[in-house]
Amino acid sequence: MIRSDTSVGSDARRRADTRVRHYLLISIVAAVALASIACNRGTATTGRPRVAFVLKTLNSPFFNDMQRGAEDAAKKLGVDLVVQAADREIDVERQMQIIENLLQTGINALCLTPSGSKEVVPAVVKANRANIPVVIVDTRLDPAASSEAGAKIASFTGSDNYEGGRIAGRFITTASGGRAKVAVLEGIPGHETGDSRLRGFRDAVRDTPDVQVVASQTANWERDQGFNVFQNMLQAHPDIDTVFACNDMMALGAMEAIRAAGKTGRIRVVGFDAVDDARKAIEEGTMAASVAQFPDEMGRVAVENAVHAIRGEPVTPDVRVRIELVTKKGG
Amino acid sequence: MAGLRFRAGRRFGTLAGLIGLCLLLWILTPHFLTVANALNVMEQTSINAIVAVGMTYVIISGGIDLSVGSLLALSGVVLAEALKGGWPAPFAVAASFGVGAAAGLANGLGIALGRLPPFIMTLGMMSVARGAALLVTDGRPVSGFSSGFRSLATGHALGVPSPIVFTLAIYAVAALVLSRTRFGRYVYGIGGNEEATRLSGVEVRFHKMIVYGVSGLTSAIAALLLTARLNSAQPIAGINYELDAIAATVIGGTSLTGGEGSLGGTMVGALIMGVLRNGLNLLGVSSFLQQLVIGAVIIAAVLVDLMLKEKRA
Repeated sequence: MIRSDTSVGSDARRRADTRVRHYLLISIVAAVALASIACNRGTATTGRPRVAFVLKTLNSPFFNDMQRGAEDAAKKLGVDLVVQAADREIDVERQMQIIENLLQTGINALCLTPSGSKEVVPAVVKANRANIPVVIVDTRLDPAASSEAGAKIASFTGSDNYEGGRIAGRFITTASGGRAKVAVLEGIPGHETGDSRLRGFRDAVRDTPDVQVVASQTANWERDQGFNVFQNMLQAHPDIDTVFACNDMMALGAMEAIRAAGKTGRIRVVGFDAVDDARKAIEEGTMAASVAQFPDEMGRVAVENAVHAIRGEPVTPDVRVRIELVTKKGG
Repeated sequence: MAGLRFRAGRRFGTLAGLIGLCLLLWILTPHFLTVANALNVMEQTSINAIVAVGMTYVIISGGIDLSVGSLLALSGVVLAEALKGGWPAPFAVAASFGVGAAAGLANGLGIALGRLPPFIMTLGMMSVARGAALLVTDGRPVSGFSSGFRSLATGHALGVPSPIVFTLAIYAVAALVLSRTRFGRYVYGIGGNEEATRLSGVEVRFHKMIVYGVSGLTSAIAALLLTARLNSAQPIAGINYELDAIAATVIGGTSLTGGEGSLGGTMVGALIMGVLRNGLNLLGVSSFLQQLVIGAVIIAAVLVDLMLKEKRA
């Protein structure tokens, strides 16, 4: 081994170098510790009931609204609310870990929007064993899987997604005068919400033979995939005049693809969820309609039901939150 | 001798990090240091820890395997479809392990014989296996298995959840192979100096293939546990698992340039990540901040490691 850095100068430099690294390291450790302490304040024991709300994700306006509604209700009812979610909406295993971890912290009730209707059933069973009431929100548990595993829930709160799909289908039938070539952007296959919307939509257009679904593919709920998938559909079927997307993110992606193709205004776009961007597009006239859900109301009702369950009061087992079609005002 | 001491020193560094992290969490929350939560963390860590076994072999040999998450999904859906098709469980498991190992060997074939860079070959396989998993299932999760099968992940042995027992058994066997067999020494040799290893008469290409086969096999074992745990096999399972496995391996002191590393270190690395995620959940830290903290800890852990390395050298 030949080592040439034995001179005094480079030794000193190496020492300085090590010192810099020490500082860097200490600051990282300190930052982590401070961050943990800062967040720990929220969970300080107050003697008030603690409700955990596990969402599918926090990177979506829909779930942000749900969180807001839940927080408002928690404040009003005087309960501590812990909101957690996986980084990705589809990460069931991570959602399950979050539930297991929260069950360790002595929560009194669990509100849950399942990332997978069947996959979270074992986690619900664990909550049952710990005698923690479970309120399911937005996406139903799979009935077969939960009855087989003996999973029990206190209540379900959600929109009637099937009815929402039918509303969208009826709107397209009426607005097109009964003649349309429709492209459908589906959600992730196997997700109960998307599957119900799709069934509702198909049932609504079935009796109108000239409303044809010429292409139907998944864009996995995502905006960028909505763009790409719809662009490809438009290549294959240039005569598409209507898009039904099972959520607004995919609809907004498709709208960008329409803009890129120079066809803005010539293709009717109908989405689902009525998020802020979609409402704006509807007012501007680039989007025709979106089916509005009221996630803030779901969040509110779920926390209220959780509190009823904690207090041993009767809980409405199935709450349908209202749903409505948003179109341009006065248009 | 120097090499041995050096390796022990690195492992000690990460272990100290894990203990420090646990102490910090013990101070911050009363829920952390309970038997129930300790078992909980280890159970949650098991999937990543098992995937990281194959990853450690691959990285010590100087390669990388980006396809592990997709191979996990593919072997998972093969297992689920076979069980649904009425196959007896042992055959279904064998088929699933076979598919995982075969896809891993295919990686090895492309790398050893086709001379493709491991990054490219396994990146391709990541997409191929994901596509195959989606094709097999038509994009839908396959679920609903017998309670006997599910007990693979939900059962207990002497009060210890079975995923932990599986993980310890796999680590024991894999560590023995790595440290006590000729094959294990070749893995280090190939990663340290491939040319020298070849010139000393070792069939480098064959052993490289086996290394990637091992990685495919451990992904399939992880798939077995995950499928039993969720009572469902999802074609979209395992996304980003390669990053978790690489992080566990590297935090555990295995060098990305190959030739050094240990499974004990990888186990500690996986536990650091598991404890961190668990602790941040217990503390109710916002999900966004969690990602930031985990990234910072990965960087800090490797930094400490490098500093210890410098001191010892």
